[in-house]
Amino acid sequence: MSIEVETTENGTTEKPKRSLPPLPLPLPMERVFDGPLTQEMLLSPGKFGLGMVPDRLSPDATTSMVCGFCSTGCSLNVHLKDGQAINLSPEVDYPVNTGMACPKGWEALTPLYSDDRGTTPLLGNKGSKLKPVDWATAMETFCERFKSIQAEHGNESVAFLGTGQMPTEELAFLGALAKFGMGMKHGDGNTRQCMATAVTAYKQSFGFDAPPYTYDDFEQSDVLVFVGANPCTAHPIMWQRVMRNPHSPKIIVIDPRHTETAACASHHLAIEPKSDMSLLYGIGRILIENGWIDRDFIDRSVNDFDAFESFVHAFDADRVERDSGISPERQHEIAQLIHEGQRVSFWWTMGVNQSYQGTRTAQAIINLALITGNIGRPGTGANSITGQCNAMGSRLFSNTTSLLGGHDFAKEEHRQKVADILGIDPAVIPTEASDSYDRIMDGIAEGRIRGLWVIATNPAHSWIHQERGRELLKKLDFLVVQDMYSTTETAEFADLYLPAAAWGEKEGTFINSERRFGLLKKVSRAPGQALSDFSIFQLVAHYWGVGDQFAEWTDAESVLKILARISEGQPCDITGIQDYRMLDDRGGIQWPYPASNANDAQERRLFEDGRFYHLDQKAKLIFDDPKEMPETTSEAYPFVLMTGRGSAAQWHTQTRTGKSKVLSRLYEVDPFVEIHPDDAKRLELTHDQLVSIESRRGKMTAKARIIPGVGRGRVFVPMHYEDVNQLTLGHFDPYSRQPSYKDCAVKIAAV
Amino acid sequence: MIHQSEDTSTNIVDRLLESQQQLTAVEKFSQRYSSVTAPANESQYKDLIPLEGVGEGEQYSFEIDLDACSGCKACVAACHSLNGLEEGEIWRNVGLLTGGDDFNPVVQHVTSACHHCVEPGCMHGCPVRAYEKDPVTGIVEHLDDQCIGCKYCMFTCPYDVPSYSKSKGIVRKCNMCTDRLSAGQAPACVQACPHEAIKIRKVKKDAIRAEALDGQNGSSALLPGAPSSRLTVPTTRYIGKPKAVANGKPVDFHVGKAQHAHFPLVFMLTLTQMALGVFAAALLIRWAGSIDSRGLAVMNSAGFGSLVLGLIVATLHLGRPDKAYRAMSGFRTSWLSREIIGFNAFAGAASGLLALSLFSFWPDWIAAQSGMAAVATVLTGVLAVECSVMLYVVTGRPLWNAVRTHSLFFATAMVLGCAASVLVLAASGWSGSATLRWFAVGLIVASGLKLAAELRLLKHLHLDDSTPEKLSAQVLVSDKLFHGYARLACTAMGGILIPAMLAVGLFSASAVVPAAIMFAFVFFGEVIERYLFFAISNARRMPGAPN
Repeated sequence: MSIEVETTENGTTEKPKRSLPPLPLPLPMERVFDGPLTQEMLLSPGKFGLGMVPDRLSPDATTSMVCGFCSTGCSLNVHLKDGQAINLSPEVDYPVNTGMACPKGWEALTPLYSDDRGTTPLLGNKGSKLKPVDWATAMETFCERFKSIQAEHGNESVAFLGTGQMPTEELAFLGALAKFGMGMKHGDGNTRQCMATAVTAYKQSFGFDAPPYTYDDFEQSDVLVFVGANPCTAHPIMWQRVMRNPHSPKIIVIDPRHTETAACASHHLAIEPKSDMSLLYGIGRILIENGWIDRDFIDRSVNDFDAFESFVHAFDADRVERDSGISPERQHEIAQLIHEGQRVSFWWTMGVNQSYQGTRTAQAIINLALITGNIGRPGTGANSITGQCNAMGSRLFSNTTSLLGGHDFAKEEHRQKVADILGIDPAVIPTEASDSYDRIMDGIAEGRIRGLWVIATNPAHSWIHQERGRELLKKLDFLVVQDMYSTTETAEFADLYLPAAAWGEKEGTFINSERRFGLLKKVSRAPGQALSDFSIFQLVAHYWGVGDQFAEWTDAESVLKILARISEGQPCDITGIQDYRMLDDRGGIQWPYPASNANDAQERRLFEDGRFYHLDQKAKLIFDDPKEMPETTSEAYPFVLMTGRGSAAQWHTQTRTGKSKVLSRLYEVDPFVEIHPDDAKRLELTHDQLVSIESRRGKMTAKARIIPGVGRGRVFVPMHYEDVNQLTLGHFDPYSRQPSYKDCAVKIAAV
Repeated sequence: MIHQSEDTSTNIVDRLLESQQQLTAVEKFSQRYSSVTAPANESQYKDLIPLEGVGEGEQYSFEIDLDACSGCKACVAACHSLNGLEEGEIWRNVGLLTGGDDFNPVVQHVTSACHHCVEPGCMHGCPVRAYEKDPVTGIVEHLDDQCIGCKYCMFTCPYDVPSYSKSKGIVRKCNMCTDRLSAGQAPACVQACPHEAIKIRKVKKDAIRAEALDGQNGSSALLPGAPSSRLTVPTTRYIGKPKAVANGKPVDFHVGKAQHAHFPLVFMLTLTQMALGVFAAALLIRWAGSIDSRGLAVMNSAGFGSLVLGLIVATLHLGRPDKAYRAMSGFRTSWLSREIIGFNAFAGAASGLLALSLFSFWPDWIAAQSGMAAVATVLTGVLAVECSVMLYVVTGRPLWNAVRTHSLFFATAMVLGCAASVLVLAASGWSGSATLRWFAVGLIVASGLKLAAELRLLKHLHLDDSTPEKLSAQVLVSDKLFHGYARLACTAMGGILIPAMLAVGLFSASAVVPAAIMFAFVFFGEVIERYLFFAISNARRMPGAPN
């Protein structure tokens, strides 16, 4: 069959038509080549640089915007008809993803059209089904209840839990409104569950929360070390950059599991869970003892080297082998690879961050980069790969742990600066940071926190030690849940539900892993009376009676301009970003981008001058003795339970990805648990057999997946299954307060 | 409890709700691509598709680099979006190989779509010629408007590629984005792979064929756990990762899954095979001369009724029954077309026989042909059932092998022929006859042999290897255990106990009620057997895709 492209009179090309053979055959022998079913599948030239697209979904315009799942920050080219999104494909001309997206990105529009979107505020009493109310009623109740709780128990008794999924402008609005307008002191976000450790580690080591890299570093390295990171699954488009590395790099993966990334590695160190710190110190010792370090760089830019040198002395090869299971020869081999590499980059994700000693582990990685001078040059760096699409926006502008723009609540000059720019009384700015998520939860237990406003996160599924978390949500006097869906596990506990517009239904910016501001656009109409979180905050400000305080906060773009002013002089200075159009035209802009000294290179990295953000401009080597897992395995609970991402088609608690039927064909919908063949044999388990997994806190069932790559004495369950956190142990990194999701003791039995 | 709110508040809510509904992306931002006509990503994929045309003896194929595939599955989602597929419809899937040992553990994702086979099973099986293998590119295309939704291609494709759309009543499948290729653009999956793991390459058909047929003991397969390439000579090439391929097993390798049961086919097969059995029994009776022509007429009517009912039920299986008239046009290759032709001949002969035995106005020389007609009916019936057998045998599903399928189908004819004969004889006043008792004995023998053949499957449960037969047996004793017991009980009651009582002459006065009960047991027993024939057939497919 041939394709003919018909040309109409005005010269534009029409959809192609198949040429049909004649039909002289008798009816039972007929062969039909065309008809409505064939027409339905016709492709037509997409125009707008798209190549061919389904004829039914032919756009009349396109626009690109940054994806709303992970922190890679891919740009998606949305196909529009009358301004409304009808399809999408990855943006080609964007430095992050260059025409690629993972399945979540391809399916990003589908969750918007799910029939369980919230379309109206819902209000009810504890235990009763919520009933629809109008916005005015919802807002009056919101203010009335929270104000009365504050009146009785003090302003601090109402807190909020935000997210890394909202645009920077909305995060800033929430933080400013709650703290400067509503008098709250405590607010945190689900970024505590993903990035707090990296933030703390960077702040302590570098003097500011500053991931130094740009994605180009994936392509420039000749040695890449991944610690507790599985980018093949968690960040597939970053892995694309690794695959495009032209230097045939050595890839070292440090991970207890044989993950997809480990399978692609040249060296996989399948360490014992939570022994990474010991191994990293051991490698540090080998590097130092062999003189495989960058003396000049250390002298110029690093503090506390001598103390570090004597500290790592204790991590001799035998000890490290006992801790990690990695042989002395292998330890030496890895150290040598790092030494021989001209451009060595170190990358970590949740395997490090979600740990009871994550901050020090991250710093153990940072230390290796610092002593070998692998920072500030192409293909180097101690690089934390971020989790959520706007985790970095939350880190810098959510006004929770740090004052807007990475400022310090404790510093009077910072409070004064922010107050001056916002035109508010500095006295309304708290003088210390918020309590962390876990302490807010403890506050509920202790009766200190009685009202909670949860925005775009799902603690009833995701919070560690789920049963306790749910008990605490029940204990609240008033719980407001603001989300795009009225059906999240957390919304089940709400007294008031506020329907939020989603990604694609509003404007704003996300900051990705490499510090790039990317733009969100409004390409779809929110269902019913759903409002953007930004509008909801405007409403709250109005009804709370502080509308005037936020008079300048008219739309997201105006807020970005305010934030740019606040950022002036900070490491994250973005005073050079003029407006959204500029971000759109430039393919996103990485911070810093100061107006005074703007560097227009599309890919930029930090610390090229060897100067860090501490007062003496030097980085610090920070270290501590590794600690044993608080819940070690025992005869009764003989397995270590590890959790993590299940597939590239799943996102966290799956409130969104679970709505796509295409995505749900790309992973196991029913929970499974990976277990080693020897362990399975001992327990007499067969493939796919239903087993119970039980910890001291709870129980779940899952199908046994028997594979050697998980290691003996360990099991792995993807975190997306609701019951997983019935098992996890509520323990936290002492510095970052990040929950440690990947180590608790469980037992397994056939059901 | 809706409160009345002050004006300004109402205004702000209304204002925000109104602005929420305004879409601003086009007016606010530059239309970067407004005048771009060439695909913006052209340069990224130009090396991934063939430059020049296809030569003699060549065709296009997918080449998958397992070293590059990270298992992200963007190819599946992109194919869905860029081809505008139905909700949840996918034309590509990604399986998982796992296994190995502590030193070489295997985690290897495997993307696959249609393999655009040299000998496409779908095309050869299709009764309406709704598949076409492009003579130049070798791409196997599906003609959506020609399809009648019989789903037979889903049996004859060993890779589970054609997928059925309930709402449309047809199957659809990957066409290698043939329109894109002919416009010089890469297929959606090729465009979307972040790691360039999917390419379109030209392959020599002879080489592919030789490779597929070369495998030792029929073991040549695209990957571990994949069906034998001998069946359809698939063209997809998997390169890289020799260790994973050598040591890996599909993640579901050890797990049998119950298959869709196709109820219309279950009843169609049972009823048409009963018809053959009844006509054969009637022929035996005719030769034995043990009953009169009225009895023969009743037998022939029963056979004819069963046959017609079976054929009517069969149309319920079609997604587009109004196009059923096309279903014989694929007779050159399709066993389904041949089956339909066979059953038409069977029905033709049977209606002639019935006309001869029901009416008495025929001239003598015509009436004298009734014996010939009876023989012709049975012979066409055997041919038709043989077509039914072949229809399943050619799919290559291990459980549908020639011996087993022949045994089951013809034994069903014997069992139901005997049971129906007993019932007809009892109902026609021959309750005490020796003929009835002989059919009862025949029923016991046939049922016993058939049950033994079915139970043989269970011996595979003791194997160490996860053979296809073992997985089928596992499904039988787990998911389908109830059906298995029901099958056993029906055979014990209807195939052995009651006919034994009849055979020894317990109900020689009037056997109608016990014969009816017996028949009901036997019939339902056969229906359950045929249900299990589908349900535990353990369809083969590419390795390890999620449920």
